[in-house]
Amino acid sequence: MASRLDNTIARIEQTRLWRSIFRSGTGNSTLHRAMAIQQNIFLHILPTKVRRRMLDLSATWYLGTLTLGTFVLLVVTGILLMLYYHPSVPQAYTDVTDLRFVVSSGLFLRNLHRWSAHAMVLLAFAHLFRVFYRGAYRPPREFNWVIGVVLLLITLLLSYTGYLLPWDQLAFWAITVGSNISSAVPLMGDKVRFLLLGGHQVNANALLRFYVLHTVILPLSAVFFIAIHFWRIRKDGGLYVRQSDPLRKSAAQGEAAEESVAAGAGKEEA
Amino acid sequence: MRSIISKLVGSVRSLLADPVRMFGLVSVVLVLLLAVAPAKDHFSEWHHYQQQYRRLIAKRSDAATLQRHFVGGVRQVWLPQVGVVDRCESCHSGLTEASLTDVPQPFRTHPPIPHGLDEFGCVICHRGQGAATTVAEAHDSKLAHQEPILPARFVESSCGQCHHAALMGTPKLNRGREMLARYGCVRCHTVKLPDGSTMTATDDPPPLTHIADKTSREWIYAWLKDPKSYAGSATMPNFHLSDDDARDISAFLIAASTPQPEDTATLPAAALKAAADPSGGASLYGESFCASCHAMQNAAGDLTGGNVGPELTRIGTKVKPEWLVGWLRDPRHYDEKTQMPRYRWTDQQVALLAGFLENKTDSDLLSNVQLAPATAAQIKHGRSLVIEYGCAACHEIPGIKRPENFAPELSRVGSKPLEQIVFADDVPHTLPDYLAGKLREPRAFGPGLRMPDYGFSHTQLEALTTALLSLTDRSFTLPQSLQVATTAASSYVPAGHAGKLMMEMNCQACHRINGRGGDMAPDLSWEGSSVQRAWLDDFLKNPNTLRPALIRRMPRFNMTDAERAELTDYIMTVYQSPVLDRDTPLTSSPELIDKGRQLFYSKYACQSCHIVDAQRDKGYIGPPLTQVGSRLTAVWIEHWLQNPQALRPGTLEPNQKIPEDEAQALTAFLMAQRGGRATGTSKQEAKR
Repeated sequence: MASRLDNTIARIEQTRLWRSIFRSGTGNSTLHRAMAIQQNIFLHILPTKVRRRMLDLSATWYLGTLTLGTFVLLVVTGILLMLYYHPSVPQAYTDVTDLRFVVSSGLFLRNLHRWSAHAMVLLAFAHLFRVFYRGAYRPPREFNWVIGVVLLLITLLLSYTGYLLPWDQLAFWAITVGSNISSAVPLMGDKVRFLLLGGHQVNANALLRFYVLHTVILPLSAVFFIAIHFWRIRKDGGLYVRQSDPLRKSAAQGEAAEESVAAGAGKEEA
Repeated sequence: MRSIISKLVGSVRSLLADPVRMFGLVSVVLVLLLAVAPAKDHFSEWHHYQQQYRRLIAKRSDAATLQRHFVGGVRQVWLPQVGVVDRCESCHSGLTEASLTDVPQPFRTHPPIPHGLDEFGCVICHRGQGAATTVAEAHDSKLAHQEPILPARFVESSCGQCHHAALMGTPKLNRGREMLARYGCVRCHTVKLPDGSTMTATDDPPPLTHIADKTSREWIYAWLKDPKSYAGSATMPNFHLSDDDARDISAFLIAASTPQPEDTATLPAAALKAAADPSGGASLYGESFCASCHAMQNAAGDLTGGNVGPELTRIGTKVKPEWLVGWLRDPRHYDEKTQMPRYRWTDQQVALLAGFLENKTDSDLLSNVQLAPATAAQIKHGRSLVIEYGCAACHEIPGIKRPENFAPELSRVGSKPLEQIVFADDVPHTLPDYLAGKLREPRAFGPGLRMPDYGFSHTQLEALTTALLSLTDRSFTLPQSLQVATTAASSYVPAGHAGKLMMEMNCQACHRINGRGGDMAPDLSWEGSSVQRAWLDDFLKNPNTLRPALIRRMPRFNMTDAERAELTDYIMTVYQSPVLDRDTPLTSSPELIDKGRQLFYSKYACQSCHIVDAQRDKGYIGPPLTQVGSRLTAVWIEHWLQNPQALRPGTLEPNQKIPEDEAQALTAFLMAQRGGRATGTSKQEAKR
């Protein structure tokens, strides 16, 4: 039974269609494994070689991956929310009340977006702290640290711009206060505030600007910087692992084997 | 125990160690989390209320009907053109079920109103957040820009968003609006209405141009300190002035006043001598029906009389005798816009009345007022105070311009956002509470406020708050087709020589003519079509009341025969209805009169309100008709019977839609009532 299944799979993997998509396929040689990663759009951003230790929970606590996960969740729920939301002044608030009160699972959708946003800010901070205290920002990763800080700022701006969109009292006053803070910048503060709000007060223009920032400009720049971030991880020698970890002697011993693992190497694990 | 724990820990560890098991575990947790969403939808508040409602109606005798009417799910009224999305009916399931009067909220039926619930929804009248389906969010959301639900006692205000004229069903709102005009609120605060007009005041603040002719500086001082101590019915508010400020303002007003020789007059000695009888004044006061407009405290301390003119309880303490004589002779010398008619009294009558009024004094009022002669500095300070407090917004004061936009505009105060309001300490944070609090203690909301204290009673506060709450944003944004405009203000003034005579007697202070005038007496716009010339002439000579049950009556103006004839001709010629020809001959025959009598007494039961036979009939609501045949024209009666409101909008007489042939018979019967000849003589008729 099992061998028959294996045969079928093997035959499928030989077909032209399969080969045209997955090219070299997996194999047992290091070259095969490396090519499997390199030739796949989804995997190529990962390093061709990953140490098993890098994938341990203790190595990173998966904080970066979780941050990415919340970002993906936010993009998906955000797009769904955009199906209901109009960024216009009387409509914005009613759309949110509709989502809350009558759209099936609308409340769940909105809350998923909201909690994911909270989680993303928290995780991004945790990720940065982790990297900082682990010393992972040191050369050759100093550029990637800077990219990370930029991503943190984008995360915070996404969070801030999204706060206005429900257009309720809380949102209105939060953004009023927030934009007043920006006017405290020396020399150009008032100009910054004017640019942000599209006027002198939080009104329809501000709502539209924040909407465009929240749904187009900031997410696109986030994707752009995330791509650089990931690419840099690969180029800087993969995830940072401490060279000698006194707590993980056994792991250090395992490292001697220098076992390389392909990212999707579930097969091998089994 | 310990073994159990270690076993548990062990199994958890083994669960986490194996990636496949771990994946399974995480999936189960995720599915459970996802189940929260539909569960929350299912166990929502409105669902709970609908279940309750179904249980409630199942036990009732009319269960089948109610169940047939019931539709579950989120129910909403959606009216895009008025901006309504109301989901209140999701919980208030029984709103349209007339039988559900005895059940608890939220299921009770809505009280009967002239509009359908699906016409305007709920929020337009009750406020709140209609889109919400939870009680807390719908009734008092803090995050919404919409207002929280309006307490039921102010709900009349919502009618006023579309209905800008007085409505039968909204006494509180009508009263509040009258007060806005009556207390001169709209002199300082601009109130623009959605039709583009501006509310105008109906109070009559006297000009202070010649105030020194009229009264003393001491009286002004006492009045400024507390207007209510002089007259309980004063509409002048209390500015809570310090002694020095009141002293300086009184000094300025006296100094600014210019003398006008015609304001004052002295009577010839003969007239004074003839008027020595003190009781004559009181009866002349009564005969002239001064009490129709002026109030006076009687011996029991009750205020009786009208509120068109000022209260006269302590008038002797206020006015100078020479001024009073000049005023009674011709009020227009002193104030050309006054409502007071020129009565054409003889010198002797003036002396009687002046003597009567001068005795109306209160020695306590000015006993403590001692003012040293004013200094220039005081006068200067008084002038700046008069400007600061905006006195000229109401009173004409020499040398001071009427201030524009003196106080905040109130056109949309009913939608004032709470975040723009600075609340006093113990005022609940709602708009009605703010408005009522502000009216009760105008200066409690911060230092430097100048709004005076009107001393409103609780019911007055509620009425005014209701009127202010009706001035909403929505009243401007609702479609124009929904606006029920107030009748356009008319500036009609009778023309010609007779018109001048009418202005002198101020007919329009009581009578409305062509859209302008008071509502104390009948509308005279079509009087020429309505009455017979002989009756009118007789009435102007000696105004005999048409309605003996009323206290207010038309005074006698002592016109000369020529003046009276001129006025009668003018009314008969000018004030005619375009559709009635008063010379239409009357169709009458004894049979018709008999038929009319039948209709009068049996079919339409007119005797419930009117009297034709003074001995038998007991109707006192409408005017007696014993002499109607010599008073009204036949054509008027006939049209009146068919549709009274078409001839005089708002009249109490019900429109019974009497068909033409029956109206003709009734007219014949009524025209036969000529003061006794047709129905036998009663005492009253014999007199006439």
